[in-house]
Amino acid sequence: MLRRAALLLALLTLLPAWALADTAQSGSEPRSLLAAMAEANRSLDFQGRFVYMHGNELSTMKVRHAVINGHEYERLTHLDGQLAELIRRDDQVICIHPDRSITRLPARSGLAPMPFQERLDRALPEQYNVLLDGEGRVAGREAWQLRIAPLDTHRHGYRLWIDRDSKLLLKSEMVDAGGMVLERMEFVALDTTARLSADDFAAPEAAMEVAIEGVDLGAYPQGRLELDIEWLPAGFAVLDRDLRRADPEHVPVSALAYGDGLASFTLFVEPVSADDAVEEGLSRMGPTVAVSRRLEQGDSIWLVTLVGEIPQATAERVLAATRVQPDSAP
Amino acid sequence: MSTERERELLSSLLDGETSELETRQILRDLDDTGAALWQRWQLAGDVARKQPVAAVPADFNARLSAALKDEGQARNGWLGSIARTAVAASVAAATVTVGWQYWGAQQAGDTPGMVASAPAVEARSRPFGDAFLVGQGLTATPRSEGQRLEAGSQVNPLMLRHSEMAARHGGQGMVPYARLVSADARQQDK
Repeated sequence: MLRRAALLLALLTLLPAWALADTAQSGSEPRSLLAAMAEANRSLDFQGRFVYMHGNELSTMKVRHAVINGHEYERLTHLDGQLAELIRRDDQVICIHPDRSITRLPARSGLAPMPFQERLDRALPEQYNVLLDGEGRVAGREAWQLRIAPLDTHRHGYRLWIDRDSKLLLKSEMVDAGGMVLERMEFVALDTTARLSADDFAAPEAAMEVAIEGVDLGAYPQGRLELDIEWLPAGFAVLDRDLRRADPEHVPVSALAYGDGLASFTLFVEPVSADDAVEEGLSRMGPTVAVSRRLEQGDSIWLVTLVGEIPQATAERVLAATRVQPDSAP
Repeated sequence: MSTERERELLSSLLDGETSELETRQILRDLDDTGAALWQRWQLAGDVARKQPVAAVPADFNARLSAALKDEGQARNGWLGSIARTAVAASVAAATVTVGWQYWGAQQAGDTPGMVASAPAVEARSRPFGDAFLVGQGLTATPRSEGQRLEAGSQVNPLMLRHSEMAARHGGQGMVPYARLVSADARQQDK
């Protein structure tokens, strides 16, 4: 009896210790780390400098991020070469080009984006193998290193370094199937105690402004377009769609965004007339591929362009399997 | 910063072989010497862009062997061979876009100069304008005068919209925005 009581007592004293150990463990559990990273990148105030590289291109940038009065602000400033900037306030994005003209992407109404964390927990498991790959140091900070390996050939792999302290993403690499690094982002200095105000995110005066405005999906035939994609890599699903145009003289171009939780691509569809000799082709910029294809269906001609960070063969296969649903076209 | 040291650092920075300390040093020195140094480095990139066939860096092989040698001294055994593969891959990564350019030039009618001298109008109709092209070479006419002007000096609107969606739905934080700003800053150089 006494022995049993002693055992019980021992168990009771040990249990909280186990529970604690378990909690400590789960802090570095790969998947919860990813979710924590997404949350930290969104909710913390920080500023820093990082390098961004792809191929033989290298950029140094300054980033500022803050949540002020419930609004999320972000500003990226290109430090070397030409001055280009991006300022974001929640869903509104402004690009300040090197010639100091501005392109606005106004926030869209109606579509509430799914919370990132929820998506990450749900969408990531199947197509990726997430491993905690040891520890490292980036920008003078201790970091956990995550390796995210794709289980098929339709997406790239990632290596992420996450700050132990703040859970911010300190370094990120996209790696293709051959182990080649397609792009790299790496902080060289990070300050998580920055005190930033709305003034830090004020847009400069612009000589010229262009807004890529959203238009009512029902107002144009291409807004009602439905695509038939006979083949889509497993794990990818439609995340978002919109219809926008650069200015009133332009034909609005509809966009459908697909993603698997990490990688994403966007399909753009625009109507073209028979007189327009548009070019089919393929471009690459760092990890991004862009493939255009002319689609003739009955009397209608469409130009479908896929832009995304997925392997080229996958991009071409998706595009080859894309049809405009006959009922949705005018 | 001596010229030799500069080149070594650039080369290793591009290959991702710099330690954090070195990267910091590079960026510190950038502050000191200002834009001139960066412009030199960027000029190298521009030259590579505009002369697709001659774009493989002259010191590529030397750089690779040097990197391999250093790496070999530092490690040995099976770990060493893995490290060597990694070094070779990272040196190759630094020149992968060059490979694309070269291939693009060959595709565009086997005339090396063609890509460089192609009229701006033709380049516009490609998905990414004058970004690295591996196109199928159909000649195009611009759809409208306005479109050509509008898109002339700015990052492609499709890239812009894709980046916005990717940042919103992807799992890489601000990386899609970094990609966009980097492309935008380079677009004007061309």
